[in-house]
Amino acid sequence: MKSKILQFVLFLSIPSCLSSQNLLDKLANEDLETKNYVMSTFKGTRLSIGHSIETRKKNTLEISFMSRYWNVPQETSNSFIADRMCTRVGLDYGISDRLTFGIGSGNPNGIIDSYLKYRLFQQSTTKKGSPVGITLLQTSTYRTRSIKGIERRNTFGEKLAFTTQLLIARKITRDFSLQISPTFVHRTSSNFSVDDHNHFAVGFGSRYKVSNHVSIVSEYYYVANPLKSIETFGAFSLGANWEVSDLLLQFKMTNNQIFTEDAFITQTAQNFNFRDGNFFFGFHATYHIQL
Amino acid sequence: MNKTLLLILIAFINYPSHFPNKKDYKEEYIERQGEVSFFSYTPVENIQATNNQALSIFDTKTNEVAVRILMRAFVFKKSLMHEHFNESYIESDLYPEATFSGKIIDFDPSIETMQTRIIKGDFTLKDVTKSVDIKATISIVDGNYIIKGGLDILIDDYNIKVPALLSPNISKKIEVTFNFKYSQHEK
Repeated sequence: MKSKILQFVLFLSIPSCLSSQNLLDKLANEDLETKNYVMSTFKGTRLSIGHSIETRKKNTLEISFMSRYWNVPQETSNSFIADRMCTRVGLDYGISDRLTFGIGSGNPNGIIDSYLKYRLFQQSTTKKGSPVGITLLQTSTYRTRSIKGIERRNTFGEKLAFTTQLLIARKITRDFSLQISPTFVHRTSSNFSVDDHNHFAVGFGSRYKVSNHVSIVSEYYYVANPLKSIETFGAFSLGANWEVSDLLLQFKMTNNQIFTEDAFITQTAQNFNFRDGNFFFGFHATYHIQL
Repeated sequence: MNKTLLLILIAFINYPSHFPNKKDYKEEYIERQGEVSFFSYTPVENIQATNNQALSIFDTKTNEVAVRILMRAFVFKKSLMHEHFNESYIESDLYPEATFSGKIIDFDPSIETMQTRIIKGDFTLKDVTKSVDIKATISIVDGNYIIKGGLDILIDDYNIKVPALLSPNISKKIEVTFNFKYSQHEK
């Protein structure tokens, strides 16, 4: 009988401790529908000189101005700031959240380029999904004038080049992202028989976020079968990306002056150092418009 | 004696799963698609975003309200704003949710029409918890509760850092509004 009473008393005492349970804790057990992919592995469609895995969202347009400045060696020049400059003006449009199309034109090198970029996989925040983000890039370029005399220039078809890149990137920590990009470059013609039409290369890129708006980026491209008619070096870039609302500003130090993949990956004729003729300062400005 | 202990133990185990749940859910109302919007008005630009996935529970017995808001579920007109919001300002990878837990002061369930009350509670954003008073209207439609209201949030209070260059673009005071339609919790 005694035990029954005890039992009853205990029974009554339970509700008082249960009612103190927080309502928020109850909500914590409810599942919220989450999009579990990683955002912002990089800022912008270009990491520094080359493409990043990022595409633009549907119905967004980006206008980009790219430029490189450099000095010519052994020249007593009175140029203002730099002896030479090279620019590219481009448009990038998000056809869908996964597919981005871009066109651009360079001056004074006269290269017209276009690309299509498709996001195959996005890196997942959970362990179940993809550990990396993968984007496929296809570019094509047309050279209106000769730059290094690598290609034959008799017909339209001889002045083309195509670059295919598989961009593989992982946001390793919230600040640090790494990208590896196996690359295939095809040039439709070669002026010298020693040069292969096809080149295989690997790009390495990384970014480190120093603040919420500024990151340090670097890129290097290794070419497995470089040109034989001229001496070439791997394209290198070290720079900073700065985001100011709708504007993305990219500053870089690099060893090449051309903006298209086929040119800077396979035809960079100088190694990276700070001497005149080797050192190129680059500035890109990209303005983002939501259509 | 052992038998008694066993009985007590059984009472303990069974109690939460049977008795109180039935009782609790009668007075618990839930909203899974609550609407939360925020606005930042400046002469330079207006920023507006809406979240239609806020989760909230309202206990009519204790007059307590709790809310969970997933930061990534805010939808912006500009996709770039969504990216900047998550990546640079709210840092939703570190702080995925905002929460509120509070109590409606002087709530009178017998009033069938609209009543305006203060909800006193704690709002947590980016791991910063501040006590807030929210002015809200509560009405009963078809036996379900509708709670609407709003509050102003100072970004400085919640560790949201805006670079000096961009401070004209983002208001110091963010207006938040919400509209929750609760229905009886069924489980």
